Amino acid sequence: MSKLLTTAALTAVCFGLCVPAAAAPPDPQALADRIDAHLDARLTAAKVTPAPPASDTEFLRRACLDITGRVPKPRDVYDFLGDSDPAKRAKLIDELLEMPRYASHSAAVWRAALAPETTAVPEARVFQTGFEAWLRIKFRANTRYNALVRELLTVPLSADAGSPTPALRRPEDPNPLAFYAVKEAKPENLAAATARVFLGVQIECAQCHDHPFARWTRDQFWNQAAFFAGVERHGDGLFAPMSETISVRVITPMGGKKPVPAWLLDDREPSRSPDVSLRAALAGWVTAKDNPFFARAAVNRVWGQFFGRGIVDPVDDFHDDNKPSHPELLDELAKAFADSGFDFKYLIRAIGRTKAYQRTSARTESAQDDPRLFARMSLKGLTGEQLFDSLVLATGFREGGGRGAPREQFLTRFALSGKPAEPETSIPQALALMNGKFVNDATTVGASPTLTAVCELPGLTTGGRITALYVAVLSREPMPKELNRLVRYVDGAGKDHLAERLGDVFWVLLNSAEFRLNH
Amino acid sequence: MRTPLSRRDALKLGAAGLSSGWLSALAASAADHPDRTRSCIVLWMAGGPTQTDTFDPKPGHANGGPFKAIDTAAAGVKIGEHLPLVAGQMKHLAVVRSMATKEGDHGRASLHLRTGNLPQGAIDFPVFGSLIAKEREQPGNDLPGYVSITPRGLGTAALSAGFLGSQYAPMVVGGDSAGGDGPGGLRVENLGLPTNVSQRRADERRELLDELEADFLAARPGAATNSHTSAYQRAARLMRESAAKAFDLSDENDKLRDRYGRNRFGQGCLLARRLVERGVPFVEVTLGGWDTHDNNFGQVKSLCQTLDPAWATLMADLKDRGLLDTTTVVWMGEFGRTPGINPRQGRDHYPNAWSVVLGGGGIVGGQSVGKTGKDGMAVEDRPVAVPDLLATVCLALGIDPRKQNLSNVNRPIRIADQSAKPIKEVLA
Repeated sequence: MSKLLTTAALTAVCFGLCVPAAAAPPDPQALADRIDAHLDARLTAAKVTPAPPASDTEFLRRACLDITGRVPKPRDVYDFLGDSDPAKRAKLIDELLEMPRYASHSAAVWRAALAPETTAVPEARVFQTGFEAWLRIKFRANTRYNALVRELLTVPLSADAGSPTPALRRPEDPNPLAFYAVKEAKPENLAAATARVFLGVQIECAQCHDHPFARWTRDQFWNQAAFFAGVERHGDGLFAPMSETISVRVITPMGGKKPVPAWLLDDREPSRSPDVSLRAALAGWVTAKDNPFFARAAVNRVWGQFFGRGIVDPVDDFHDDNKPSHPELLDELAKAFADSGFDFKYLIRAIGRTKAYQRTSARTESAQDDPRLFARMSLKGLTGEQLFDSLVLATGFREGGGRGAPREQFLTRFALSGKPAEPETSIPQALALMNGKFVNDATTVGASPTLTAVCELPGLTTGGRITALYVAVLSREPMPKELNRLVRYVDGAGKDHLAERLGDVFWVLLNSAEFRLNH
Repeated sequence: MRTPLSRRDALKLGAAGLSSGWLSALAASAADHPDRTRSCIVLWMAGGPTQTDTFDPKPGHANGGPFKAIDTAAAGVKIGEHLPLVAGQMKHLAVVRSMATKEGDHGRASLHLRTGNLPQGAIDFPVFGSLIAKEREQPGNDLPGYVSITPRGLGTAALSAGFLGSQYAPMVVGGDSAGGDGPGGLRVENLGLPTNVSQRRADERRELLDELEADFLAARPGAATNSHTSAYQRAARLMRESAAKAFDLSDENDKLRDRYGRNRFGQGCLLARRLVERGVPFVEVTLGGWDTHDNNFGQVKSLCQTLDPAWATLMADLKDRGLLDTTTVVWMGEFGRTPGINPRQGRDHYPNAWSVVLGGGGIVGGQSVGKTGKDGMAVEDRPVAVPDLLATVCLALGIDPRKQNLSNVNRPIRIADQSAKPIKEVLA
């Protein structure tokens, strides 16, 4: 890690080197080509032939899930297949980025990173809606990443301990304070989350002792916590109001005696001014264009979101013993992202246009299994949100939201576990999809809008009905082998059992790995 | 900060330990002896329980806090006053007061205690339960080899089968709060077929699913597809009546259920007994809330009121059913808490000197092992490291801790690190 922090970079960070904004918007295709050049060079050196390009439907489904958080609608599938524009994949990425669902999906992704407590801790769940609403506003406006982070780190808190800022007024109102509340407004938790999410650095291990493997010391951990030392929670519980006394600028470490001042991770003194919160000084350093951690951590996180694995993996654990798979690529992405003014859409456009992102997930040679080569697309688990929203689209389910509603149950039961590219399916998840009420209703004629329509639509052959179910669930038409087998299954039971047998086909598709995974 | 020599030193030490003979003999006899084939129940105290207020009281010292120390069924072994029923079971329990570990962060310490290793680059270390589930794999049992009841916390990695593969991953019961806080939350939902689906129809669907997804799975080998396949296979087996019945606590006598405590932990301990009774080799039951930075004494008293009846009843119930000699019970968390009391009447994280309790089969109860000084700040006698503890549990269960598994990076990894020095005194 120490090597990352070259003296030049430090100087630039600390003296706020100013670079004039670029005149023309950067070309995502140019960056896409450079990404592929880096990856191809490694593949050639390793003598590995990458997997061929994904089919149009495979690509469409993947891009929709990655950018908008759910599978495409049947109409989108046919539109995309019918489009003969050679640039249609790049065009699709551009279109998806302009959809409101891009903002809501991104909000869910970043909420999970910033406030994992909202899924893990039952009492914290009520913060999820408002925090996502706040993030959604930011993503909808394409707020630049540095501005978003600065805003989050410097959220105003009442300076009057006698009338502190409420953590939550109404759960559905946009609320960035959720970040502070779920960290229990504790300086050490806030510092650890800041370093982990925005800098890719896990300093919390140094909370109690000098970390044996990385360079972080216990003092450095508490130096970071000191930036939040003035933040105070009034009362117990996640909903207790908060205030900040900006004159408090040191913190006494847990189990220690001597107070520790705020000090930046690059060993420099932060700028201090008497009437400004130290959080502003921290935010300024964290989000500086040349902060070597900030842009790298961000591009690595987005890369991990799209490829299932970071260039540094896990995405939030940069240290000496966890080297990037493609160091030069990481540097180049970070620089391009910073030069673009921290524009997520530019970064996603570039990633989406690469040959690497557009490869099939099906293996054509065993050497492609090494995930560090990005030789074939990894299989990613669907988040609870992605699964439920895709199920709703495929089954035509409609119902109000709220606590205790199916969506909330899915978010809990299907929260991802395991590494992103090695998602674990649990026994309760399999049971819920096999026997649960939601899927059972969806696969029973009468209770299921999609199935009812598919059964009752006049003039369709059995094959046509099966095809409609395939497109609704798997976003592709069945292959001849599949179609023959299923027509035999459905017709073999006689006309009286048509609805039941089509329900079975629907059940099989909804339970298949092809639906359960983002591939 | 780097200590390049430590690894080589550790290897040397490990080799010395192995050549000393007694471990080899013990490990060999443990692995061979059918009488030593035992199940394990871990009572996992998430958050790091305070040793000073439970198993290593410091009466007469400022660090001791307001709780008294009480006598137990084992002569000379005193414990905190809020565990009176556990005190009555002390003949079957051995307190280890000299745990000395290095991690004070919840996530890393949990991984350390549960895998025996700290995160190391590319190696996906399996948790202990998965290691035991693999050693004790029973192809004939429809129940999973590792059941985790009401796990809590942020670290999903602390529940991973890692490089062993998802067939050894824990079956989680009551882990999501969707089931509410009541004991009913321990039910395994969706175990039965929907009323409109016959067994025959369900079988046909499963066959069709297997057939239709075969090509997709074959073209995409790896953890994601393996885990999908394994979960569906294990779920289907769990649906069989003999397995599903294990989770039906309404089978049990009401008085016994009351004695365990009508809360999720108490009923979880009862479920653990039902599972080991049916041959499940590894069950853990979690009681969270031990991260008592504030108001430690109020919180610990309340936690003990849940812990004490559940654990004591578990010991007695196992004994009554003739299961105590074939079940090893372990009480532990990820670290201890500071002997010093902070200004908020709390205790903070403390890995330097803390306690665990071993009991039941394979363990010589009625004793304490190791000790800390008067103020509880440091281990004064026979420090116990994480591999030592895990190796001890392995030997109690009848598993050779030196056995190796091939990791995901094709490096053999022992069940317990080769530096492990089992705690001889507690092994029967």
